[in-house]
Amino acid sequence: MAELGERYSKINISPVIEKRKEDIMASIIELKNVSKVYGDDILTKVLSDISLSIEEGSFSSVIGQSGSGKSTLLNLMGTLDKPTTGDIMINNTSIKNLSKDELAVLRNQTIGFVFQFHYLLPEFSVLENVLIPYEIMCTDRKKDVLEDPKQRAVSLLKLVGLEKVIDKNAARISGGQQQRAAIARALMNHPKIILADEPTGNLDSYSTEMIYDLFRELNNTLHTTFLIITHDQKVAEKTDRIIEIKDGRINLDITK
Amino acid sequence: MKLGFRIAIRFLTASLGQTLLIMIGISVGVSVQIFIGSLIQGLQQSLLASTIGSSPHITIVSDTSKKEFSEYIDLADEIRSTDERIKTVTYVLDEPAFLLTEDTSQSLLIRGLPLSETEDIYHFQEALTEGRLPASSAEILLGSPLKEQYGLSVGDMITLLSTDNTALSCTITGFFDLKVASLNESWGIMSLSAAQQYFAFPDQVTGIELQLYDPYVFEADLVADKLQELPDFTSWQVQNWKVQNESLLSGLQGQSISSIMIQVFVMISVVLGIASVLAISVLQKSKQIGILKAMGMKNRLTSFIFLAQGAILGLGGALLGIMLGLALSFSFTKFAVTSDGSPVVALSIQPWFIILSGAIAVTASLAASLLPAIRSSRLNPIDIIRNS
Repeated sequence: MAELGERYSKINISPVIEKRKEDIMASIIELKNVSKVYGDDILTKVLSDISLSIEEGSFSSVIGQSGSGKSTLLNLMGTLDKPTTGDIMINNTSIKNLSKDELAVLRNQTIGFVFQFHYLLPEFSVLENVLIPYEIMCTDRKKDVLEDPKQRAVSLLKLVGLEKVIDKNAARISGGQQQRAAIARALMNHPKIILADEPTGNLDSYSTEMIYDLFRELNNTLHTTFLIITHDQKVAEKTDRIIEIKDGRINLDITK
Repeated sequence: MKLGFRIAIRFLTASLGQTLLIMIGISVGVSVQIFIGSLIQGLQQSLLASTIGSSPHITIVSDTSKKEFSEYIDLADEIRSTDERIKTVTYVLDEPAFLLTEDTSQSLLIRGLPLSETEDIYHFQEALTEGRLPASSAEILLGSPLKEQYGLSVGDMITLLSTDNTALSCTITGFFDLKVASLNESWGIMSLSAAQQYFAFPDQVTGIELQLYDPYVFEADLVADKLQELPDFTSWQVQNWKVQNESLLSGLQGQSISSIMIQVFVMISVVLGIASVLAISVLQKSKQIGILKAMGMKNRLTSFIFLAQGAILGLGGALLGIMLGLALSFSFTKFAVTSDGSPVVALSIQPWFIILSGAIAVTASLAASLLPAIRSSRLNPIDIIRNS
């Protein structure tokens, strides 16, 4: 497997292909020699010296055993965490010197999260949940607001097939529906990137299939960049690029 | 801010039972504060009213061996122009005399007063149990205990004997009850001119008496000091009610302190209640806070959610508490009554005190939500996402 990986990565980093890709797509996320160490007394190195570039509009997956560091990688890319060393560029902006508030704005307007546990707010309806990222955005800037945000939220909910449960309480719909509502929420602010951490880990195979078809469709129609973390080989195979993390390093990077 | 408020309201209504419970907790605290505060204030006011309500706040007497003096008109004018806190300036001729009855004699303090002007101080008109105020030279008003003790009635002629053995026959025009037994038993009220004529002190008085406007009653010592320092007042002694009633004052002060102590402890328990509920709420809502932060909500706004919850709980509790406190006070004045139907203690319900109690509750609630607000701002979304 390691040898295979080496072969693939050798192919991938061939200068010709890289040059061509740069011409076609700009990189939206770029990791430069990123390492992450946890702990104060006992140091655990979760990621070591990772350099990685995710192109705009791509549909990629990150696979790896649990504890391999793939979730940490996603949290770093999502600016929820900062690297111990190295730098991350999101949309050509280095996050190194951004304040907490600036990171919050960046997350709100550039990144949509889909987690394994969807984390809808159970106190709000499905529609209200979808509107929350927009309302958070409105607390920062008073202009550039949508003319009819509700209309956009409703159309997103239609897109994910939830038009019938729009006004239901978010806690009173099925797991698959909740995850689809979370996807609609992630899309609310037109993010350039969707980071999904085991988005179907909790769902049955039918719902899993539906969610991936939806991801693919959104990728095709809206050109949103998708980066999906999964431990499921079958799921990963449906993406255009598979990055395998092992012991905190990139073990494999295959582009179809 | 609007979003923060909306989320705060949703958080509170989502666990309605818990919210109502803490609001009731706050309102009980506020209502107890309002009730106890009004009760103590009422008690103090009735105590004060019975002590100084019917007596002068400041008395000016001669500092020489001769009690009587004649410059009172000029002095009164000077006093009036000295300080705006002074409401009434009047004068009195106090002389001892004996009331002669068939087999005994009763010592009296005959007070010669310009009755129309002293009404502000002594309220004799209100204190009359029967009859009318004395007008002409040979008329007197006596305390009601004397009526029964000596079998007297309105219109009876009595004989007074001054210390230099001058006798005077005068008619009883009525009886008074000043609610102070010692005064009822020992005072005989005459018009000033009658007293001056009888005791042979024409155009002389023994004292000038002052009443202050209500809000300045407790500044009597300051006003007295100011008067004493006037150049014309060197041979006069200015006394004020605070010096004459020192034990009452320390009693009132003790009462105030104990009332404040009760109120402080009630508020501390309210604060602890809110703080603990909101602290639990931060834990309960940590998932929501984590995801809101992941979606780009700033730490400030997540803190604001908890401050807003504190404010809403405080405001709701305060309003409920004010209603409860007023209801409690109202039922107290309705049901805790004496045999004649008047309340045992007349409560003093002051709007400013009610507003203050409410404001303290809201401030305390805000203060109590400060710690949960700080905790929520420190919450790291990764910890929430990872732990689940």
